[in-house]
Amino acid sequence: MAEAVRAAVELFVNPTRLSMLVLGSAVGLLIGILPGMGGIVAVAILLPFMIKLDPFSALAMATGALAVVHTSDTITSVLLGAPGSAAAVPTMMEGHPMARRGEAARALSAAYLSSLVGGILGAVGLTLSIPIARPLVLSFGSPELFLLTVLGVSFAGSLLGKEPLKGLAAGLLGLLLGTVGPAPAAAEVRFAFGQVYLTDGIDLGLVALGIFGVAEVVSLLARGGAVAQRLELGRGWWEGVLDVWRHRWLVLRGALIGMWAGVLPAIGATAGTLMAYGHAVATSRDRSRFGKGDVRGIIAPEAANNAVEAGDLVPTLLFGVPGGAPSAMILGALLAYGILPGPRIVTEHLDLIYTVVWSFALANVLGAGVMFAASPLLARLTYVPFPRIAPPIVLAMVLASFQETQHFGDLVTLVVLGVVGYALKVTGWPRGPLLIGFVLSNPLERYYFLTVKLYPRPEEWLLRPGVVVIGLLVLAPFAWSALRWLRTRGRGQAEVRGGQPPGPGAVATAAVLAVFAYAWWQATGFLPDAALMPVSVAALGTVLSALQLVRELRGQASPLRDEDEGEVAEEEGGPRVRRAAGYLVSLAVYVLATWFLGIRWASALWSLWFLRGVARLSWPAAAVYAAVLVAGLELVASVLGLHLPAGRLRL
Amino acid sequence: MKRLSWAVLLAVLAALPAGAQQPYYAGKTIEILVPFAAGGGSDIDARFFAQFFEKHVPGNPRVLVRNMPGGGSVLGANFFAENARADGTQLLATSASTIIPYILGLPQVRYDPAKWELIKVNGVGGIVYVSPRTGVRKPEDLARPAERLVYGGISATGLDLVTLLLFEVLGLDVRVVMGFEGRGPARLAFERGETNIDYQTTPAYLSQVVPLVREGKAVPILSMGFVNEKGVMVRDPSAPDLPSAYEAYQALFKRKPDGLLRWKAYQSMVAAAFTFQKALWAPAGTPPEALQALRTAVDRMRADPQFQQQAKQILEGYEVFRGDVAKPAVLRATRITLDVKKFITDLLRSKYQVRL
Repeated sequence: MAEAVRAAVELFVNPTRLSMLVLGSAVGLLIGILPGMGGIVAVAILLPFMIKLDPFSALAMATGALAVVHTSDTITSVLLGAPGSAAAVPTMMEGHPMARRGEAARALSAAYLSSLVGGILGAVGLTLSIPIARPLVLSFGSPELFLLTVLGVSFAGSLLGKEPLKGLAAGLLGLLLGTVGPAPAAAEVRFAFGQVYLTDGIDLGLVALGIFGVAEVVSLLARGGAVAQRLELGRGWWEGVLDVWRHRWLVLRGALIGMWAGVLPAIGATAGTLMAYGHAVATSRDRSRFGKGDVRGIIAPEAANNAVEAGDLVPTLLFGVPGGAPSAMILGALLAYGILPGPRIVTEHLDLIYTVVWSFALANVLGAGVMFAASPLLARLTYVPFPRIAPPIVLAMVLASFQETQHFGDLVTLVVLGVVGYALKVTGWPRGPLLIGFVLSNPLERYYFLTVKLYPRPEEWLLRPGVVVIGLLVLAPFAWSALRWLRTRGRGQAEVRGGQPPGPGAVATAAVLAVFAYAWWQATGFLPDAALMPVSVAALGTVLSALQLVRELRGQASPLRDEDEGEVAEEEGGPRVRRAAGYLVSLAVYVLATWFLGIRWASALWSLWFLRGVARLSWPAAAVYAAVLVAGLELVASVLGLHLPAGRLRL
Repeated sequence: MKRLSWAVLLAVLAALPAGAQQPYYAGKTIEILVPFAAGGGSDIDARFFAQFFEKHVPGNPRVLVRNMPGGGSVLGANFFAENARADGTQLLATSASTIIPYILGLPQVRYDPAKWELIKVNGVGGIVYVSPRTGVRKPEDLARPAERLVYGGISATGLDLVTLLLFEVLGLDVRVVMGFEGRGPARLAFERGETNIDYQTTPAYLSQVVPLVREGKAVPILSMGFVNEKGVMVRDPSAPDLPSAYEAYQALFKRKPDGLLRWKAYQSMVAAAFTFQKALWAPAGTPPEALQALRTAVDRMRADPQFQQQAKQILEGYEVFRGDVAKPAVLRATRITLDVKKFITDLLRSKYQVRL
């Protein structure tokens, strides 16, 4: 404990360390604002500077940046519906509807305050657990890790929505999407359709940007007007502070879930955040407001996503097993200083570890503090007509998606996922279970096979105490729901109207059914160990979506809707979807133009068309705005060292 | 008369010391394409070299690292083969996962390193260790372990191919469990007692496993070996106390493995995947002055004390070879004979359900 105190004092007194920490946090905040960009970009920018500093200052700088990238990505998630990262999706799902109601300031201040507290709790938790972390982490064997992923998937159960059949099918769709690419337990690449691009699977960042970001932006545009449809009620900012205080235990639980998801291998940052969200839903008595802007759905994941980054440092430093790319890059920088992660780091470099821990806490206070103070100001963005702020968002999303692998396939995937995301959204398919299924698909399959192969006899692993405990945690909510269902049988049926003619919803359901059936047929040809997961997922998905289709054809169709606003008025629905389809087509044209002309000309032409044709700016204003956007694109790319897609014509 | 003055001028220019000319790379930017995600071993290697190229290439160009992951590095290498500018400003970093698919002739590979110019190459070693529960203390004991050997691997077509060939050469009965995300998680499984034989590349071995060895929780047995410039397998330079796989074979079978097909397969894969693991290439047709500048920089790095000191950690003390010196050996390692290729594909198909 003495080292912990000394490291803290050093950090606050040493001007180099403190200033590098502040610099790192500033970079992290700025990068975090850009949708789709996070820790990797921030650390990559800082790396050349880090090499020139002493290890303590370098680590303070990197930790400072990593600690706050998930703080500032809340802005675009809440205000514009474009999640800054996959971990920000829950914040978007709850915060954005709040912004539409005119409660942006409340959502933001609640998010920042929980981020701040979560970060500090994470740092404190780390300080306490470092001495015991090693044996604790090692006590989780493959069977326990497998059950933890099952637990994670079961959290999707609380996010199923009004039509559980659709919710389950959506979760299965996510699991299926996650099986694209190399099978973990057999040498086989699945569902790549002969495309080398798909042989590594689909990138999580692209799923978040497409299924959520593009879908949200398109539906906002189709609705028209500004984000917020009402003026702010009361003092939103202060309301957010009160919210966090009211739900203080939820903050603590969220932070704990996040921290442990970071510490243990197999789960990962995004799943940890989603689990905190699922936990908030599962433990709330009144769930009716979730998905429509419930502040509890912001508080828990925001507390978790900062604690995750803290927890992630434990396996990085103690085992040399980084949980994510940013911590892997920090690991590389440490190696250059001759600091080897591993068992000895606790005895030889404890001061360094505590510098990391305290930098983390301090950066959180700084980052979240600044954003917290600025949130009333930021909230005003929601009163600007949305078409005027859409072009920079779309450009940023396209640019960010291209950074995943820098192949044209990234852009195609973005558009395809955007179309899928919008179709699911408007026909009432919950996308939360889909994301959980997607992030946990690979670890679930991986640790299932590791478990059954490392423990060939089932009783060897099924009876382990850890397995039994986590298993009970998985089963408890099901038992609870079953009990509740028995008691309330017949009452409170879902408000799906009967006698509806099957509409566009049935088309979407039929498409989902076709995907499952095709995948099932394809997957039967895989090697046995590669086939088990996709076959079982697709078979179950086929059955569930077929049931759903039958219901809809029988007249129990669900009307078109915006997930968070309830259904769209009958006469509004059709035109709105047609407008959205138009925007999606324009996005596809934009991507196609990028292929021919390169991103500079394509962006210029698309923004010009959009600003003139949709935002109805005058020609000169549109031209100036488009020019500024392209210049900004150029500037961001050169400062961040990003690559701009060049076209075939090489203009 | 005019022609004569031109000749004089040229002669004078040629006679001028090199310093008087503008260096080829002055004001230029070199981009190192890394076909892997940021934070991995190849990325760390490339970023480490990037700073020293900035320092030592005449003209001090900016050196940037560009990550282009996908298809297990095949996508980025294909991109490089088809699009790279041959003016010395675009280089490609490759690793075992780039070279193994090329060696096995997989259909998605559209590149041919034989056509490229090699700038530098450096290797890694691998150390095999077991749990004390196996009762194995030295290579001879591997034939009769106290409990069945269990190994945790990533994928049979990656670097683990070398381990599988090692088990084959030594005739070991090992239950191989594939599916770990990386060598780090596989090592955690070893520490948890789920597996009892494992290997790590040397830096990970030194930092993570040596402490376990001191606590009596792991026993080092052999090194994968190192193929020297004569094509002979020697002990790993950073683990000189451990027998190489070659010596382990001798200890187990009381004869030399030379000439055995399985040994040929193992040794050629060790050379390609370990000894020459991290290579840096320029496209065919890169101007000679650019290649000269880059290769001279490699020589200067090797003499730079700061480089030497940091290389101890990052490169695990393995030597960095100048590309033109090492290219014949590297290419020799990537060319396997048809019988070796058939041996490998048969092994993968029959024992590990891999269809190539």
